[in-house]
Amino acid sequence: MKLNIKYISTFAWYYGFRSIARGPSYIIASLSSPLTLLFLVYILSHGQLLAYAVAGGFVSLVATVALQSSGDAAFLRLQLRIQDLFVASPISSTDYMIGMTLSYVVFSGPGIILYVILGLVFHLFSFIGTLVLVAVLLILVVATSSISFIISGAIGHVRNVWGIAAILSVIMTILPPTFYPYTYIPSFYLYILSVSPVTPAAVLVQGYFGLSPVMPVMWLILFIDLAVFYIAARKLTRWREG
Amino acid sequence: MIRTENLMKSYKNSVHALKGISTVMEKRVTSIIGRNGAGKTTFIRILSTQLMPTSGSAYINDTDVIRFPEKIRNKIVSIPQEASPIGILTPFELVKMYLVGRGQSLQESTVSTNRALEDLGIMEYKNKPTDTLSGGTKRKVFVAMAIASNADIIFLDEPTTGLDPISRIEVWSAIKQIEGDIILTTHYMEEASELSNEVVLIDDGRIIEKGTVVDLMKRFEGFVRVEGKDIADPAITIGSTKIKYVRKEEAMAYIEAGEVVKPVSLDDVFIKHGVEVEY
Repeated sequence: MKLNIKYISTFAWYYGFRSIARGPSYIIASLSSPLTLLFLVYILSHGQLLAYAVAGGFVSLVATVALQSSGDAAFLRLQLRIQDLFVASPISSTDYMIGMTLSYVVFSGPGIILYVILGLVFHLFSFIGTLVLVAVLLILVVATSSISFIISGAIGHVRNVWGIAAILSVIMTILPPTFYPYTYIPSFYLYILSVSPVTPAAVLVQGYFGLSPVMPVMWLILFIDLAVFYIAARKLTRWREG
Repeated sequence: MIRTENLMKSYKNSVHALKGISTVMEKRVTSIIGRNGAGKTTFIRILSTQLMPTSGSAYINDTDVIRFPEKIRNKIVSIPQEASPIGILTPFELVKMYLVGRGQSLQESTVSTNRALEDLGIMEYKNKPTDTLSGGTKRKVFVAMAIASNADIIFLDEPTTGLDPISRIEVWSAIKQIEGDIILTTHYMEEASELSNEVVLIDDGRIIEKGTVVDLMKRFEGFVRVEGKDIADPAITIGSTKIKYVRKEEAMAYIEAGEVVKPVSLDDVFIKHGVEVEY
């Protein structure tokens, strides 16, 4: 399978960067939930869990933005009919999916910069921790974007997708230990929550940031989540309709 | 050249959208006309590789579009019905992104995009977000994609639906600049007359007429259409309007009686089939 890198990067540049430049409200919307939780965690824990909330904020931000992309994908397919235009062209479903995913990486950019500043303030970064964070966020954006494509492909009417994306966003980014230490919940529940790729991502970030013990098995779980959701998205995303 | 053999499409809700279409289309511009729900969009979506048929086969230039869609996708463009551009992007960005996706280089796509926008007279909107543009200009952005793509066959699904008369003429003018063969669906007979070399009339998932506009109009030669509420022995009744076709020499009597008399047009071919009556 040959990827059309030029198309993917053009799509990401226009749909990601230009959208931010012309619609800055997107940035505020994507930041509102993680920043609100950061504030709540600060108040409720008297500042003690703030470092967890900052580390989790990276994970939550990327996952939230990627999950919200299901709304856009459904909107482009059902409302604007743009996806049909792409189907009847040499553009492949993979190019389209990666282009849109990359757009959301760009979308996350301003939020990530803000969290980097917070991370520097709280002295969270080490060399290994930073490498792990970058790797985990890249895997997470592909896994959660895949979930978005599955949702957008299964939805028959665009009005339903925003609600589903909002529900999933809450379930997948707030229930898992993104804003609190993963050691607070029994390991049995931790593994159940690992159905969401956000859980292993958050556990790994906490571990390599030195906030909680490292759980290497979470790498395996994160890769399994990635493989399952990516393959499912490839199979279930509606490209040529049956 | 497009060739289909016994093309059928049924949906899960037992709707049979196509009931066996076998045809050959090889004219420069072919219009597919029919009522809402007649099967026009389903037909065009199958031909442009967006939708799988239930059975049957379809070929574009002898390539099997059902089995090998990837072999034909670089030769076609399909502008979906009521497609709307991504509002936050500009015409330049949309067309360029599409062309890069079709394999043009960044430089080539920039040149092609500028040329197409220039040809269509929308260069002044090049850098304006498309959600600020009129409906006609938005449609022209899609036509620009078709022009700049240099595709062999362009599918246009109801390209002017919902546009005002001036915008419609503007889009027709843009469509005439496309170099490839065009298959367009419409339920505007005026559009079919204006643009096409051949007309295919579809009703209830089947082709019921095919030919040039002149061919299809031959049966009405020497007739005019009379419309009114109190016409005796009407051929067709649509709502409270009664329609009758009479010889031109009989028209004066109807005019004197206050009825509306109109020249026949492709509308009448459509109306005649649409209500399944004899005249």
